[in-house]
Amino acid sequence: MTFLDRTTDGRKFRHWEGNVEADYIYTSGVAGERFFVALRDEGRMLASRCTACHLDYLPPRMFCEDCFAELTEYVEVPKAGRVAATTAAYVDRTGAKLSHPQVWAFVTFNGIRGGLVHRLLVPPNQARAGLAVRARIRPREARTGTIADIEGFEPVRS
Amino acid sequence: MTARISRWPGIELSAADLYERKVTQTRFRPDAKYAWSAGEAMSRFLAELQNGRLIARSCHKCKRILFPPRMFCEECFRPTDEWTFIHDTGTIETFSISYLDTDAKRIAEPILVGVVSLDGATPKMGMMHFFGEMTKEEIRIGMRVKAEWKPPLDRQGSVLDIRYFRPLREGER
Repeated sequence: MTFLDRTTDGRKFRHWEGNVEADYIYTSGVAGERFFVALRDEGRMLASRCTACHLDYLPPRMFCEDCFAELTEYVEVPKAGRVAATTAAYVDRTGAKLSHPQVWAFVTFNGIRGGLVHRLLVPPNQARAGLAVRARIRPREARTGTIADIEGFEPVRS
Repeated sequence: MTARISRWPGIELSAADLYERKVTQTRFRPDAKYAWSAGEAMSRFLAELQNGRLIARSCHKCKRILFPPRMFCEECFRPTDEWTFIHDTGTIETFSISYLDTDAKRIAEPILVGVVSLDGATPKMGMMHFFGEMTKEEIRIGMRVKAEWKPPLDRQGSVLDIRYFRPLREGER
């Protein structure tokens, strides 16, 4: 008999089951805090600006990735953006099957480095890269200072 | 801090800042399930404790009787061969007079704990357990002891199905 002949399922023997209570709180950080507070309180999206490199970062970063300068200036992200890439999800975050596929997109904004991954509020057959979109922000009383304060991105009629 | 850095960026947060949600945050509870298995040898060992018996594994190559039982001989580097029952009597190999209980709390009356090597297993093989029906003055290395079992209906397939090891009585074996 070798080890390979043996069972690899520990539950066939006397066993104890448990759940590791590894709860955590993840704070947004200095730049993230500015972003989420502006989103929650004013319904605006902020980018951090490097004046030396003429760069704006979304999500805002505390340091410039090019020159390592500390960034303290924030600018508002333009209302309209563009879909850079899309995908459809058929399972949720826990792996459970969704009744309808969910459309997700990476949305970028003119002149801004970075972008946001969020829901794309169109049917799957209308999702495509290049689509002009804008953020649909939840009403003030529903906002809690998380990325879900944005309901998703919806097409802009031009 | 250093010649060039007089302060670290950022803001120190207190526990209250986190719990009172003074800063934006994400809270998450991972669903990190586990199943800890006693394995083949220890599962049989625990089941036999419930029957009031001690079981070991023998290795035909080195002729040892391994207790507690294991499925692999660490001397011969090969699987062990047979199940074999051993006796619930033995000899105190080493002991401690402990003024800390199992939760590490200080106690006035010490508990006696130690290793008992069991009759029928290869010498020096045995288990750790409590000692009872003896005082801290009486306990000594080499003392002959016997398992004091819980009543059958109270046994749960746990090492505590033996309450403790007590001195072997006259004429007992």
